[in-house]
Amino acid sequence: MEQLILASEECDLVENSVCAPADVAELFEFRTPIFEILGFPITRTVSVIFLVAVVVVGLLFFGLRKKAVQPGKFQTAMEGLIGFIRDEVAVGIIGPDGIRYFPYLLSLFLFILVANAFEVMPFINFPTTSRMAIPLFLALLTYVIFIAAGLKRQGFRYIGDILWPPGVPVALKPLVGIIEFFSIFFVRPFSLAVRLFANLVAGHVMLSILLVTGLVSFLTIGEIGLIKSAFGIAWWLLGLAIYMFEVIVILLQAYIFTLLSAVYIETSLHPQH
Amino acid sequence: MEAISGSLALIGYGLAAIGPGIGIGIIAGNAVQAMARQPEAAGMVRTTMFLGIAFTEALALIGFVLFFLT
Repeated sequence: MEQLILASEECDLVENSVCAPADVAELFEFRTPIFEILGFPITRTVSVIFLVAVVVVGLLFFGLRKKAVQPGKFQTAMEGLIGFIRDEVAVGIIGPDGIRYFPYLLSLFLFILVANAFEVMPFINFPTTSRMAIPLFLALLTYVIFIAAGLKRQGFRYIGDILWPPGVPVALKPLVGIIEFFSIFFVRPFSLAVRLFANLVAGHVMLSILLVTGLVSFLTIGEIGLIKSAFGIAWWLLGLAIYMFEVIVILLQAYIFTLLSAVYIETSLHPQH
Repeated sequence: MEAISGSLALIGYGLAAIGPGIGIGIIAGNAVQAMARQPEAAGMVRTTMFLGIAFTEALALIGFVLFFLT
């Protein structure tokens, strides 16, 4: 909310056609701490992360507390969501032994989903997954887990197995080894993190600029004239259309992150023969 | 001649997005065709489609990061 006020003060629609901050990083970096706990300054980003964790735990606790035979609406929704991750992602992708990784995949999915959903939540309006630290940490967690799963299941043969898939001609081994090494140990965690980050950054920038422009052009209708104000309202309507689109993006990105984590774990557990 | 101003990295990102754009179009189109021909396999096709899209998209993402790095 303070961003809206800040942006509308800086915004000069007499000269520009949209309200954009001078530096896009202003939309993402909050350096002033809100309050302090034991000497640690808590900024807006960190407080939103804690809020996400509380919401996820609350969803699971209140969704599954009663275990009623005839579940209510909320319990049905939570059971559907959890059942989807278990049947379609954990067991569906990894196989019967994927049930061991189901708790990890479920917490990953719920955390990303709730953190993303704060992008379109009124009065919070900030997805923590648009700061690189969060998706990068989650991607590194998956990275460590799939390498550890492979090493535990196959020992050190795992490294050779993933670098040289069976059936590669000897002459091609050096080239294939380099490509596979680069693709598995660098591109995998990197693309996993950047995909989530990039989608949320783009969404947050679009929503803030379009909706703030619409709001400011409505409030300053006397200064900028009727025609320019009408353009501002058009921007605002476009922003609302993108808002609906972002709701889909939020769900899809959480699903894709979980799905790809499951696929990476699966390739470690069951090498192609 | 007036010097071109602005970020060259923006053009680079635009170029990097062409290939994945075409690729994702092909993947999604073929997935729709597969689902229309065999509706009972739709679940499997959808999962594989998302995977294909995710891997294709990686190239555009590298372009996106280079845009930030420069």
